[in-house]
Formats: sequence, structure tokens, C-alpha cells
Amino acid sequence: MKSGIGLLARGAAAIVTALFLNAQAQVPANAAGMLREATIGEPPPLDVMVTTADVATTIGRHMFETLYAWDSHYASQPMLADSDKVEDGGKTIVIKLREGVHFHNGKEMTAKDVVASMVRWGKYGSRGKLLMGSATSVEATGKYEVTLKLSSPNGAWKNLLSDVNGGLAIYPEEIASKATGQPIEQKDYIGTGPYKFKEWRPNRYVELEKFAGYKPRKEKGDGFAGARVANFDTIRFIPVPDVGTRVSGVQAGDYDYAEMISGDLYDSLSKDKSVQVQRTNAPIFGLFFMNSKEGILKNNYKLRRAIQTALDKSQALRVAFGPQDLWKAEGSIVPKGTPWYSTAGIEAYSPHDAKKAKEMAKEAGYTGQPIRLLVSTNYQAHYDEAAVFTRQLADAGINVQMNVVDWATLLKMRGQPEQWDIFVTHHSFFPDPILFTFLNASYPGWWDTPEIQKLRAELVNSSDQTARKATWDKIQALIYEQVPVMKVGDAYTYDIASPKLKNLNPNGPAFWNVSTK
Amino acid sequence: MSRDGITMWLTPFLARPIALIGLCVLLAMVIAAAFAPWLAPYDPYAIHPVSRLMPPDAVHWFGTDQFGRDTLSRAIYSARMALLIGAGVVLFALITGIPIGVFSALFPRLGHVLMRMVDVLMAFPSLLLALGLIVILGPSVANSIIAIGAGYMTTTTRIIYGLALRLRAETYVEASRSMGSGTGWLVVKHILPNLISPLLVQASFVFAFAQLGAASLDFLGLGAPPDIPSWGNMLAESRTFITRAPWLLFFPGMMIVLTAFSLNLVGDALRDRLDPRFRDVFSGEG
Amino acid sequence: MWSYALKRAGATLVTLWAASVIIFAFIHLIPGDPIYVLLGDTATPDQIDRLRHELGLDEPIVVQYLQWAGHALRGDLGQSIFFQAPVTRVIADGAETSILLATMTMVWVVLIGVPIGTIAAVRHGTWLDQGLSGVAMFFASVPTFWVGLYLILIFAATLGWLPSSGYPSIFEGGSGNLRYLLLPSLTLAAPNAALILRLTRASMLDVSREDYVRTARAKGIRPWQVVRRHILRNALLTVVSAFGFTFAALMSEAVVTETVFALPGIGRLVVQSILRRDYPVIQGIILVIVVLYLFINLIVDLAYRFLDPRVELQ
Repeated sequence: MKSGIGLLARGAAAIVTALFLNAQAQVPANAAGMLREATIGEPPPLDVMVTTADVATTIGRHMFETLYAWDSHYASQPMLADSDKVEDGGKTIVIKLREGVHFHNGKEMTAKDVVASMVRWGKYGSRGKLLMGSATSVEATGKYEVTLKLSSPNGAWKNLLSDVNGGLAIYPEEIASKATGQPIEQKDYIGTGPYKFKEWRPNRYVELEKFAGYKPRKEKGDGFAGARVANFDTIRFIPVPDVGTRVSGVQAGDYDYAEMISGDLYDSLSKDKSVQVQRTNAPIFGLFFMNSKEGILKNNYKLRRAIQTALDKSQALRVAFGPQDLWKAEGSIVPKGTPWYSTAGIEAYSPHDAKKAKEMAKEAGYTGQPIRLLVSTNYQAHYDEAAVFTRQLADAGINVQMNVVDWATLLKMRGQPEQWDIFVTHHSFFPDPILFTFLNASYPGWWDTPEIQKLRAELVNSSDQTARKATWDKIQALIYEQVPVMKVGDAYTYDIASPKLKNLNPNGPAFWNVSTK
Repeated sequence: MSRDGITMWLTPFLARPIALIGLCVLLAMVIAAAFAPWLAPYDPYAIHPVSRLMPPDAVHWFGTDQFGRDTLSRAIYSARMALLIGAGVVLFALITGIPIGVFSALFPRLGHVLMRMVDVLMAFPSLLLALGLIVILGPSVANSIIAIGAGYMTTTTRIIYGLALRLRAETYVEASRSMGSGTGWLVVKHILPNLISPLLVQASFVFAFAQLGAASLDFLGLGAPPDIPSWGNMLAESRTFITRAPWLLFFPGMMIVLTAFSLNLVGDALRDRLDPRFRDVFSGEG
Repeated sequence: MWSYALKRAGATLVTLWAASVIIFAFIHLIPGDPIYVLLGDTATPDQIDRLRHELGLDEPIVVQYLQWAGHALRGDLGQSIFFQAPVTRVIADGAETSILLATMTMVWVVLIGVPIGTIAAVRHGTWLDQGLSGVAMFFASVPTFWVGLYLILIFAATLGWLPSSGYPSIFEGGSGNLRYLLLPSLTLAAPNAALILRLTRASMLDVSREDYVRTARAKGIRPWQVVRRHILRNALLTVVSAFGFTFAALMSEAVVTETVFALPGIGRLVVQSILRRDYPVIQGIILVIVVLYLFINLIVDLAYRFLDPRVELQ
């Protein structure tokens, strides 16, 4: 026993010495052409057509491509498409494909692949119904030409074809045609992107490697559009759920890039020389959904307005996102500087008038019944906002009871209308309002009044931008009147990166065109 | 309790000054919990987004958190949660453990089966058991108590079983049985009173480790609802700000350490006073 | 003797079966299901129902249990819903980190706990003993994540001596990657070394009261010789069996430490899997941990029985 301990002691001493000596001498891994990104968690399967989880989108974007892609101003530019023609008053769309694009398995991409992908997307894709729901046919009308026929025009079709998130990523025909609602298997992760799938070590990382056969577009890279050049041999997406660990990891050089850093570190990190700060160019916004199907808030627009009247949104934004640079108490659902910016109804956005709210609630017949607020702590901002609002509503005599659960439970519970009155989530920026969740009558909240039914049809089935904008103004006014959902405000998330990285993508983590030179 | 009884229980502390300090800390905690509304300088729930993440100063001795709430006030109110969780877990462990343990010792046939079932539960790591239970039951204070208590229920039952077996085997118990007295009387007269002091020792250890267990659950976001002030919640919320506001991490952490440390000291001192017959059941603890 | 071993092994199997039923029943009591997590925020209800059917999650629970148990008997723990990979592979991947972390932790525990515990026992009742025991008690009372966060702040973020988080496999980067486990293992070692220290001290004091030790002393053997030859050697029997349990416990109790240091170990895997309702992975991990625990329990029990004739078990 004695000699055993002695041996252990000597061994441990040797290990410690070796480790400390090693620590400084270690060459950073990115010298070998590897980029290490700390993601907010493990992704679900990377079948981007069916999943809308952000982590899967971030990784999937490097492997799979769409027919169009957004530039840094969120305008759709051709990606796998070359050109398009819209005929028959918007009911026929003919897309000409780029020639000479190859899949990771070496096969050339043709119209057949696009058609098979469109069919699968229409049937099983998360956002496929929005376009394919009105499709009467989709056919290959040439080796590099696809024709989509619709029963009514769709003003948002190009935007719908511009993002991989639950969107139309192009898979090879043999994979798309046999795919079902189940995510495709790892061996079928075959796309046309500048990086291809290498391996997925559960709990450790997803690794992509440079696709040698990739031919970038001629246009200069801009946002997600234009030329994509892979400068790293491999990219590793490493799940690091704790934000503090992500930050110290980049500071210590263990990761080159880390996503979604909390606002309160913004000021100090902006001054920190060991990192660079990258603010996203498009805001996300918090949403408090009201239950239109059951419970105390059903059809009670007066009480809903009373609730919104009691709130000071900027307090919640300050707590959730920190410094003023990172948020804006903006009543327009779509931010300023976009074609959809609107002032309709925004005076009701954040009045912070407890007295008036109290009166309004009384008029609405409210007598202090508990209002159940469903929120998850998996997103700190959701919880922060809910906590601030609960306090503000208490000041107005409105009794909100928070039900704090984990995200998976929330997703399940919010589908059960008897379980909640308000639930909290957030929405990513999208350049066309058609994709907003609250316009979808089957999304929890179930806002489907006759007024919105009519306006929704107008918005979808038109391709005239001026008319669509006028409709959107009416919808926003209706949102402030019926309050199916309350917008918290615009929040600009930010990422941090090693100062060595150059040419970071302003649209978010996408690592083509990024280099260390 | 007679005067002699009090002296008997105080001796271990008088003999060991550090244990006396532990006792004082616990007393302070009880006072903090009982008089929190008078002791706390501010409303622990009041939100002031403008004065958030302020370092400690004359106005806010422990600084403010990300909601601009006063950390000292929250820390004082958190003593309530700590006591509640600790006492709840101890009660849960005893209320389940005493009947099962004593019953199993008295009726070996059924007892054997019961103890096998306890063995099955013991095979589950306690933190995983707590995690699983919390996710099933949903996060609330009562459910935290059940989830943490489930892990200590097994060890406590085992200890009680061991003690009760020994007490039963002791001759005077056998003697009174042969004289025809009923089982209920036997339990009340001989086993339960003899269990009090060893269980007091066990209770102080369980109380201490319940603090750490609750803090771990809070840290993983699966403990008491986050709006309730508790040291674990305060730590969990502040870990994002470790570089920006390190004091937020320091104070609640110290509170947990002090509480658990004091309880362990007290438990240790009590154990040393214990009848040597019972001492060895605790050798693996603490 | 052998019949006892067989009986013990049989009881262990029954326990294991009961545990498997509990695992399965409990896991399916968890509200929420993996489909939502898999498909993300905007999945439609019919998309959800279709996928649930395709994954077989709408089958009766008994059918699901029998299928799972049947496969588990053949060593197949099923397919992870989330990773689309066999659960056995997912667990094996996490086991590398967990086993290395537990081993390194145990090295610290032995190096710190046993010698200091011995000193405390030998100087029993002195100020040194009280001081050492007090320090040990203190470390047993500290939340591990709290220590971990401060270690990261000091040694990684401020001084830059050691990596802050993560663990690249030693099969890729060589043994130098063990430095990633240095801070986490020290974090975990703090409370566990404290426990082993106290256990060493306690069992040495117990042994020193035994007759043969008194005899040895009476024969005039020098005190340190008595400690080394007689007391330590016998006391370590208890301590070594505690190592087994500590090691098994470290597999899962490292949850919090693995979260703080973003280590790809079993503990974090199980928490993440609970949060995303990856049933096959949760079941698999808990089953493996339970098997490990029962196995160690059995071995320790039998070892006692064979080594120490004084132990009498019914």
C-alpha cells in the first residue's frame, strides 16, 4: 500500500509539472486551420428543412444552400438560382439555376434535385406550407430550370426561399425524395455549401470540413449573399451552454468565436483587447402571447389593452439586455429602416400608466383573478422581461402568477390552451411579415378573429408591395387593438470573437470569407 | 428537558469553541429568517433598472443585482428559504425514514423486502434522482424539498434500520418482549427514545447537505422558482456577471458555506457526545 | 461461501430489474417530449404528430418498455433521438471524459485525504487535529460550482495559465490535453478529499482501539511503525472501499462541475438529455450508472466477506 501511494504521488507530480509546462507552450489550434465556435448548446439533427432551432441553422448554413440568400440589408439575392421570371400575374414562377454547382458527393445539382427538395419541403418543411400550400405544380422544365405554379400569387416567395431555417435547402434528389418528417440521417447531410459534414461527436462538437469542389459566385460576398470562400480547413461547433464559460473561453483563446453573450458584459468586452465584439445587424424581439382560445384573456381585448397600458417596456429591456446600444423600445413590429416600418397604433406600445390600466381593467370586468404567465428560464431574457412586467402589473392591481418551467415543458404546455393565459418567447428578424408566428392561426395563441383572417389573406395573396404595406399598417393597428401578442422591443444580440478573425459576417455567425489574415 | 439534559447537550459545544461559533451562526440565521422584514434595509423584490449591478457601497452594502435589487436584503430573506428547505428535507427524511426503518427492524420478513426497495432507490445517484423528480414534478419549493429529500430518505432509513436492529437485539428489549408487552409499547418505550440523539446528529448533517443540494439544483436552473430569493438562485443569476460584478457571486456563496459549515460543526460536536454504540453508523458521513 | 456470492449476485439482478422499471416509468412521466425540441419553435401540430408516430413515441408505454428492455439485454440501448446515433456510442464518448476526470479527482483525493487524515489521527485530540478537521469540514461545505467559477476566474481568465473549459480528447491532442481537466478535478476533489480525510481519520482511530494494535504497542514497537504497519494498513480497507463508491458517484455527481467547465462528460450529457427529453440517452446513462453502482456494491460486499471473517451478514 505504501509503495502504491508513493507511486501515485510521483505520477501526480509528473502530471502537474507537465501540464503547467504545456499550458503556455501549446500552439493555438487555429494555427492548423481550424476555427472553433462556442455555440449556445448542442444542436438537434441538422436537417434544416424540418428544424427551426437556431443552433442547427447556424451549423447547417455552412453545408446547405438555398436558391436565394439575404445580403447585409436583408434583400434576397440569387444563390443557387441564376435568374427568375414571374408570369401570369404572379402565379407562375420560373427559376433558372446556376450551372456547374456540385453536391458534396460530387454529383452536379440539377432541376430534379430542386424539385424533389421543394416537394419534401412542402410536405414536411417547417415553413414549407407558406409557399407550397398554394402550389398546384412544381416541375423541372429543363435541366437547369424549375417552374412553380401557384393558385394565387405570393408576395413573399423570394424571401421564403432565402433562408435555411425551416426553409428550402437543396438536397440531392435521392435523399430528398425518400425523406419523411423524420430528420434525415447524418450520412445524408449532403449539400452544396462551402463546408461539408465531417463528424458529430455527441456532446463534444460538430465538425465540418472545407468542400474542395465548391465554386463561389462571382459577386462579392455581402451578408449571406454573394461569393462564399472557405478559408479554414475545418470548423468545430462546440456546445458551451454557460455564457460565462463562453466568454472566458474566448478570452483565454480556447474558442475563436462565441455566440449570444449577455448584454451586461458588452461595455467591458468592448474595451477588452483579447476579444472583438460583433453586434448583429438585425434585432430579435421578445413576444408575450395572449391566449385567444381559452381563459380569462379570450376575446377580452379591453383587459389585454389594460395589461399593455401598465407596462414600461424599456425597463424590461434594460434588465434583459443591458446597455442602451443593445436595445430599442420600438413600437413598430418591424424596425425602422425597413420597408415595413409602421407607426400605426404604436402609441399603445408602452404607456406605463398604472392608474389608467387599473381603470381599464375594472371596465373590462377584471376583479383580481390570477393571470397565468408561462415562461422558461432557458432564455434568461424571457425570464427577466416576465419578472419586470409582473411587478409593473402588480402596481396596476393586475395579479400575474408566473409559472416558470424548462423550455421543453413550455413548448409542450403552450400547445394546451387550458394551461396558460400568457406565454413568453421571442422572434428573429424576418424581412417579410408573412412569416411572423403570430399571423399563423395554428401557432399557440391561436389568433384567428374574422378581422385578421381577412387582412392575412390580403397580405399573402398579393405581390404588390404598396398594397401589402397598406395591409400591414392595418394589421399592426389591429395588433394594438386586439393585442394577440405584445412586442417587448428590439434587441440586438452580439457575439464575441478572437481579435485575429477578420471579415466577420454582419448577419450572424457564418464563417465563409472569414480569415485570420 | 431537565436542567441536566440541557447541560448534557451544551457540553459538547463548551468543550469545543469552534462548534459554539457554529451554533451562534445558526442562531443568527434563524433570527435573520424570522425578522427579515425588519432587518432587511430594502424590499428584496423592488426592481430599479437604473441602479443595477452597483458595487457594494454605503447605500447597498452587498451591491445590487441585474434587476437593481438590493443584494443584502435578498441575502437576508434567503435565510428563510435555506431554513425551509433544510427543515423540510430533514422532516421528509425522518417522516419517511422512521416508520420504514423501525417497522423493517421489528418485522424482519417484510422488512427485508422493504430494505431491498430502499437499496434499489439508493442505486440511483442522489443528484440525478433530484433532477429527475424536479423535472417531473415541476419547479417549486415543495417539490425541491421532495426531490432533495428523496436522496436523504434512503440513507436515513438505512441508519434508522441499523440502529433499530441493534436496539431490538439488546437484551433488555428482548426481555420486555418475552414478558408479553405489545409491539407498539416496545417501539415507544425502547426504540424511539434511543433514536433521538443519533437522529439529531443525522438531522444536522442532512440539513447541511440539503443546502448544497438545493444550491446545485438552483444553479442548474431546476430549483426554487427564480423570483424567490435564495442563495442558490442568487448565485445562478449572477454567474453571468462573474467578471462584471464578482461581489454578486461572493456574498450568497459565503452564506451557503457558512451555513453548511456551521451545521457540520454542530453535527460533529453532537456526534462526539453520542453513545459509542451508535457512533459507527455515521463513520462514512460528514 | 460461493452460495452466498450467488445469492448476492441474484439479489443484485432483481434490484437491477426493479431499477430498470423505475427508470423507464419515471422518465416517461417527465412532461414535454423530444419532438418539440427537435423541430424548434415554429413546428406545426401535424408535423409534430407525424414525427411522434414515426419515432414510435405514440406506442403504449408497456410496449415501449418491453422493446427497450429486450434490446438492453442484448447490449443495445437504442438510438438517441437527438444525436441520431446509438446510445452506447454516445455514452462511450462521454465516458472518456468522465472516467479521466474521476481518476484525476481520485488522485488528488488520495494524495490529500489519506496523508492528512493519517496525521490528524496520529495527532488525535491536538490543535493540529482540530485545525485539519475543521479545514476539511469547511471544504465539505463549499458548493463545487462556486469553487469552480472562482478557479476559472483566477487561473484561466486572469492569469491565463490553464484552459477555462472544454476538453479535447487525449486521443486527438495527446496527454497534454489532460491540463483541461486540472481545474475541474481540483474543484471536484475539494469536497471529496475532505470526506476521505475524515473517513481515514475515523477508521484509523477505530483500528487503533483494536486489541492487536494494543499488543503491538505493548511489545514496544515504535509508534510510527505501529501506525504504518498495523493501523494504516487495516484502516485503509474501509477507505479503499469508499474509493469505489466515490468513483461511481463522481460519474453523475460531476454534473455541476461539468456544466461549469463545459466538459463533454456523462453528467452534463444526462442533464442536457433530460432538458431535451432524449429518452433513450437518459435511460441508457442511468442504467449504466446503476449497474456500475450495484457492481461495485457487490464487489465490496464480497471482498469484505472474503477478507474479513468478523463481518457477519444474514
